[in-house]
Amino acid sequence: MELSSSDTTLLKVQDLNKSFILHNIDGRTIQVLHDLRFSINAGEHVALAGTSGAGKSTLLRILFQTYSTSTGSILFKLASGEWVDLTHLTDSEIVAIRGREIGYVSQFLRAQPRRSVIDLVTRAGISRGLDNNDAREQAQMTLEKLHIGKPLWEVHTSVLSGGEKQRVNIAAGLISPPRLLLLDEPISALDPENRTLALELIQELTLNGVAVLAVFHDLDAIEQVSHRIIAMEKGRIVQEGPTNTLLPLLRKGYINS
Amino acid sequence: MTGIFVPEPVVQVRNLGKVYGPFSDETISRTGSSFGSARDAVTGSIVAAWDISFDVQPGEALGIVGESGSGKSTVLRCIAGDVEATTGDIRLANVDEGKVNILDFDASRRRRLRIDQLSVVYQDPAEGLSLGITAGGNIADPLTAAGWRNYSAIRTRAKELLTRTEVPIDRIDDLVRTFSGGMRQRVQIARALANNPGVILLDEPTTGLDASVASGVLDLIRSLLEELNIAAIVVSHDFRVIEMLTERCLVMHHGRIVENTLTDQLLEDPQHPYSQKLIAAART
Amino acid sequence: MTVVSHREPTGVIAALSGSALHDEPAFTVLDEESKREIRRALLHAVCAPGYQVPFGSREMPVARGWGSGGLQITLAIIGSSDTVKVIDQGDDEGVNAVNLRRLVTASTGCEETTEVSEATVVQTRHRIPEDELTSQHTLVLQVPVPEPLRGIERDMRELSRMHAESDYSRMWVSLYEDKVRNGVITQTTGYPCLVNERYVIATTPIPRWDIPRLHNAEFLSLFGAGREKRVYAIPPHTVVEPLTFEDIPFEIEQNENTHCRLCGSNSSFLVQSPSQDDNWSCSDTAWCRARRTK
Repeated sequence: MELSSSDTTLLKVQDLNKSFILHNIDGRTIQVLHDLRFSINAGEHVALAGTSGAGKSTLLRILFQTYSTSTGSILFKLASGEWVDLTHLTDSEIVAIRGREIGYVSQFLRAQPRRSVIDLVTRAGISRGLDNNDAREQAQMTLEKLHIGKPLWEVHTSVLSGGEKQRVNIAAGLISPPRLLLLDEPISALDPENRTLALELIQELTLNGVAVLAVFHDLDAIEQVSHRIIAMEKGRIVQEGPTNTLLPLLRKGYINS
Repeated sequence: MTGIFVPEPVVQVRNLGKVYGPFSDETISRTGSSFGSARDAVTGSIVAAWDISFDVQPGEALGIVGESGSGKSTVLRCIAGDVEATTGDIRLANVDEGKVNILDFDASRRRRLRIDQLSVVYQDPAEGLSLGITAGGNIADPLTAAGWRNYSAIRTRAKELLTRTEVPIDRIDDLVRTFSGGMRQRVQIARALANNPGVILLDEPTTGLDASVASGVLDLIRSLLEELNIAAIVVSHDFRVIEMLTERCLVMHHGRIVENTLTDQLLEDPQHPYSQKLIAAART
Repeated sequence: MTVVSHREPTGVIAALSGSALHDEPAFTVLDEESKREIRRALLHAVCAPGYQVPFGSREMPVARGWGSGGLQITLAIIGSSDTVKVIDQGDDEGVNAVNLRRLVTASTGCEETTEVSEATVVQTRHRIPEDELTSQHTLVLQVPVPEPLRGIERDMRELSRMHAESDYSRMWVSLYEDKVRNGVITQTTGYPCLVNERYVIATTPIPRWDIPRLHNAEFLSLFGAGREKRVYAIPPHTVVEPLTFEDIPFEIEQNENTHCRLCGSNSSFLVQSPSQDDNWSCSDTAWCRARRTK
């Protein structure tokens, strides 16, 4: 499979392997990702598809460096145009680029219970480089778009419903977005109406040049927002192609190994 | 070298070591994580910490995690000056432009650093506060040490800090002895921040507090760290504390660093066998 | 090598070098070697204004706590050509003052007086005389507790360190606490002062009223604590600042509506005697008498 490479490519994964060594069980090694190779361009939304256990979340976590890499390289193009290999960066460099260059939105909102909604999203904006006022303004706008209205802004996140928490989580993830956004089942707890709102916002991202790599359970969501699909099975990429080509196959359950 | 901008560290520690008792190279090589002990069976000396090196960036919180006896508190106390290090090089960006090893300073100069360069929040608030004086008085202490001589200005600043640490202002004139554990800890934090130090060291800041109280204090510390762009070193055996407050952390075992990594990576993908054991135990 | 012309030492140096000593005394309270040792300690004290110099405090014919320190200083520096005035709470005729004065005159052969203008050495407990003291005077103060930080710290080494490093923050905290608890900084006697911008001293037991007299004075002040075995000094023309916050002025006891019932003064330090109704009178009895006889 040729790596697509152009001026807009901003992520190139080459020969990526991940194993866990379980020292405290019997020292066994479990390999979860095998020889992954793919790239992502700016403004492109790529969906990761596959059954659970395929390694989709694992891949997202490695890209964010929450998991370490075993072998292989993860080449990322910084805003400055310089290419760096994430597997060779120091911890401090990773900390420096997280948030601004690469973001990760998980399925669950992890926040201090007493943090207010507006505070959480504003802080996320500030950590991406916005000043206090801009951050607050954009936080308000983003929350509005997700139908989290003013009455909820000063509320502590701990008292929100699951769906509300997820929307706040999305708002925090999308405010002043980084150049590459990794989404891990971000809308799983939303009802249809809110799911639509969220997907609209996610669609806007790519229109603004953000590169997105997302895991969605929901094939309709994939259809709505993604340009390309990477299908995985047992830690390997088994198929890759444009959404309108691959999606019908996915719907029918056909995936070539 | 990439073009990624990583600011100059505020704290730079190199080869910090503390040994109790006589020692030689053999002592060092007979102790540590792989030997299962910090105590040298031959000489009886204890290598409480050895070969400790790390940086802390401005606005960053670095965690040091480990079980009791790991040496993490020893490291903190060596940096604070409460314990005299055996060897090592510690530089602070705001002290002689980070060009001098503060371990070479005499006791009096090390003490002066504690006024406005480096503050410590101890596990036991009684260690960082005078229980027999008022909350305001405890804050007046570092301020007057830094040369503040205006009573109203001192009061104003004390009230500001107490407000920020969520201590009711009407208790400013109460003796600290009359405060609960959680409130005492907040007063200790307020006092530590009085002179806007560049570095704050926190030693098990919420251990010993009731769970709900601890969570409030942790919340507070986290907001302060975000707001103040201060460099922090957080020592804890509690992973929830490390998770909430830090981006990077060290794991210590029998006086040595066994893992130096991103905090989320430690929690989700620990590499060293000892780290894996710790994380597994924490998860149960 | 330069030749130093020999001059008779005057004033402070004369007092401390004992060169004014001429005639034989009637009996000895303090031997000459002891006096020299005390003078050496006093020279150290003058060189480091406000610093508490330890000295070998001898047994005196007055009990500890009754002026043995002041007495030793006076005996060490006084000679037969000197004139001594001794007051206790401003009064020359109190029992202790009389006792001390007799000891000094009998053992050194010096003159005695109640008039400041005639004195060269004034030993006192609790007051600085109202009359002007000049460079001809040496003031010797009896001090029970020389350590200003005594209420704050007990450990000797820590006290030593605090003075050595000029680390008086705990003193400041105690002033802060005082103000918080009492609304004013109340240390009415023994008020701590910063001498020569370096050492903090206890001014016990003189009242606030007298503290401004220590600043930039014409005269030498020597403080003696016999029981605690310390002496300290404020040389003439030394900066002496009572410790206070810059927005809380140092206030002296002010009795605007009271007058001395004997001489009518309201510009001197007044004290009350419990037995009378209109009971305020001048603390400095000699000064008051002089006013009345003029």
